[in-house]
Amino acid sequence: MEKNDFPMKHPLGLEGNTTDLISKGEFGAVLSRAGVGKTAFLVQLALNAMLRDKNVLHISLNDPVDKITLWYKELFNHLAQRYAFEQAGQIWGTLLPHRFIMTFRVAGFSVPRLRERLADLTGQDIFHPDMVIIDGFKFDEATRESLADLKNLAAEQSFSAWFSVHTHRHEETPLNSIPVPLLDVEDLFDVAFRLQPVEKDIHIQPLKGPIFDLAPLTLDASSMLIK
Amino acid sequence: MDDRKVRNIGISAHIDSGKTTLTERILFYTKRIHAIHDVKGKDGVGATMDSMELEKERGITIASAATFCKWRGHEINIIDTPGHVDFTVEVERSLRVLDGAVLVLCSVGGVQSQSITVDQQMKRYKVPCIAFINKCDRSGANPYRVITQLRSKLGHNAVAMQIPIGLENNFQGIVDLVSMKAVYFDGDNGENVRIEEIPSDLMEEATAKREELIDAASMFSDELTEAILEEKEITEELLLSALRTGTLTRGITPVLMGSAYKNKGVQPMLDAVTELLPCPSDMKNEALDTGNNEEPVILSSNPEDPTVALAFKLEDGPYGQLTYIRVYQGSIAKGSTIVNARTEKKVKVGRVVRMHADQMEDMEILPAGYIGALFGIDCASGDTFTSPGTALTMSSMFVADPVISLSITPKDNKSQISMSKALNRFTKEDPTFKTFVDEETKETIIEGMGELHLEIYVERMRREYGAEVETGNPRVAYRETITQKAEFNYTHKKQTGGSGQYGRVAGYIEPITDKEFEFVNSITGGVIPTQFIPACEKGFYECMAKGPRMEFPVTGVRVVINDGASHSVDSSDNAFQAAARGAFREAYARAKAVIHEPVMKVVVETPTEFQGPVMGLLNQRRGMIVGAQDDGPICVIEAQVPLAEMFGFSTVLRSATQGQAQFTMEFALYKLVPQSIAEELAEKMAKKRKGVQ
Repeated sequence: MEKNDFPMKHPLGLEGNTTDLISKGEFGAVLSRAGVGKTAFLVQLALNAMLRDKNVLHISLNDPVDKITLWYKELFNHLAQRYAFEQAGQIWGTLLPHRFIMTFRVAGFSVPRLRERLADLTGQDIFHPDMVIIDGFKFDEATRESLADLKNLAAEQSFSAWFSVHTHRHEETPLNSIPVPLLDVEDLFDVAFRLQPVEKDIHIQPLKGPIFDLAPLTLDASSMLIK
Repeated sequence: MDDRKVRNIGISAHIDSGKTTLTERILFYTKRIHAIHDVKGKDGVGATMDSMELEKERGITIASAATFCKWRGHEINIIDTPGHVDFTVEVERSLRVLDGAVLVLCSVGGVQSQSITVDQQMKRYKVPCIAFINKCDRSGANPYRVITQLRSKLGHNAVAMQIPIGLENNFQGIVDLVSMKAVYFDGDNGENVRIEEIPSDLMEEATAKREELIDAASMFSDELTEAILEEKEITEELLLSALRTGTLTRGITPVLMGSAYKNKGVQPMLDAVTELLPCPSDMKNEALDTGNNEEPVILSSNPEDPTVALAFKLEDGPYGQLTYIRVYQGSIAKGSTIVNARTEKKVKVGRVVRMHADQMEDMEILPAGYIGALFGIDCASGDTFTSPGTALTMSSMFVADPVISLSITPKDNKSQISMSKALNRFTKEDPTFKTFVDEETKETIIEGMGELHLEIYVERMRREYGAEVETGNPRVAYRETITQKAEFNYTHKKQTGGSGQYGRVAGYIEPITDKEFEFVNSITGGVIPTQFIPACEKGFYECMAKGPRMEFPVTGVRVVINDGASHSVDSSDNAFQAAARGAFREAYARAKAVIHEPVMKVVVETPTEFQGPVMGLLNQRRGMIVGAQDDGPICVIEAQVPLAEMFGFSTVLRSATQGQAQFTMEFALYKLVPQSIAEELAEKMAKKRKGVQ
């Protein structure tokens, strides 16, 4: 069985759909309060892309490399278990070269710095990302400028980028409207989802973008997999 | 005995920052030695701490001797720490034993690459430290620049606790910013400390620096913050206690200064060791519960609890083997019985002593937090001793298999004897270092965890034991394994006069992942008589040592025999062993054998500006970069690189980063070698076979 036959559900339930949700140069966001499952969601998007031989650059501003590696390993194992896949170990080995993890201290991260790092990677032909995940990016007043800069970078280097966006309880907004942190920069994003805990499950609510009359999607709260 | 009055500290520094001189002066002021010698050894005596010649020459400390002294009612154990990152086992052991450290820096050279190395070690093991800027009497001395470097290059929250009175030739003493007094050092050896008012021309600077100090310390004490806000007087106790809290959490690095060579500033540094660095019970120590899957357990530091102690260093002395030991929990008393957790042997404690370099003092009991030495205990370094019935160990029982080997040949007869002595000692000290004699070539092979690991032992053999040896090329421990099931049906028949040989075995081999070798007997109806089954197993097992394909050890094979035949006269153990060997070769050829190579987890710590070049280096070596961690001025890159590509990496890394990067390397996993490399190996093997014939 080849890696490409790995029976993985598309992260958003689009069975058989093997295209990306957003294309090169576009931005996607997943929003929720702390601890709901943003990272798990993003790592699934990443695994899905890696299974299709896409290169994923995972940038984390919160966690050390070890912890992120663990996220991938755990979610991959859950997936492999769910689909009772036999040669999971070998597949895992072939996936790893498609992933590159970078971590920064929140204060140390800036777009020029990322540009420099990317140049290190692409210039020496070490790694060319198709998808970039930025976990822990701080959305505040100053973000607009750096996000716009990032958008340029994404277009130049032709990658798509996914962001996790941390929302706060006191900024709660009604369903289906764009939450506070994203309000000012909403136009830069092509797709956005909100993760909302409902009883035992976590619902994935589309906020923006083209995919939308699907049955409600949920995350399994124990395995953090998309059901 | 009060454990709050105990300090177990390391003095760590790069070459030539004056670590040995400083240690000498400490021992002199604490009245452990009565004369001061020159490090360079003009008088032929030399400093007391550096015992190994090799260390002196290379300027590194490999062994960790512990020495004991007393200062103002406190008992201080000074543990000599290795300044080299590659000795994983050695480094880990000595860093575990100490609770705090003094980071010695040269006021001229400042933070150099090796300071970065030792600092990274401290950080990894979360050792609280204070800094001592030495050599303030040298021309070009600038302690403030060193403080800036501590902040920018090492990311320390470094704050001056003192300012110098004069510098270079004119260096006279220091101003203590806590007590706001000037301190001078009189007498031939600076033994008389004279406290005076601060010279008027330094008052302004001292006041400003004190403000900075108080400001930094206030982050760690609400009481101090309150005192500042209410503009109350800030007492010495209040300030010191805030500084101590900050130091223990590694939130602040208090900086002291002086010149050990000129006998200035050493006593205040000792004061700081007692005031700011942790006592054993301030630190959390963990052991592993062998009864419960090696789950970590926090030790209590209560001398009444069951004993847990670590033997961290062995030394051959004139009275036999001396075992340096640190007690973490409970206590070790003369005459008590302890158990070696590795061998489960009971040992009766004879003499318990405390060491000062090469003199000793007898002790009745060593309670938790103390460091001492035992006589006549047979053990290896890193062994844990516990009270009978306690299933705890300080270090994991799991020892990785060596990944690299090297043949060594003694140059003469004398070296032959010394070599075996040395090997015997090294294997005792380091569980990852192994040695055996190759049956075929009769060469002595040493095995270990990396190129440098072996190099150092070869060097030590020469220095310490006078054993001159020639080394072969390092060899990577490749392995063979099979990837598919293959059947065999092999008959071994020989009829050349006398009694013949006959045996037939049939069945299949298949890959397994969790075991190296498994033999399954599915014979029914006694087609192979039961007495010959062990011979079959032996025949198959022997083939595992040297794979038919490339002569590397074979792993991960399950052998199942389900049919066969025997002859009432001609069948024998030998015949079935031969049949099994033939069967293995037959099936192996069809089982798609592949070569696996050891892949190492390589972690490089480099100043951020060299991140790009370092990743390039790793990439060139077939490395897969897992991630890069940007940590302010330092960046940590983690990669998986085949061991075969890591030869000479330290040299390349050094030149690519101006000597400012270090790396550690440990075995990660065995991985399939790429086709091109497998072909290269096959070619080499073919050449070798030709050569043999």
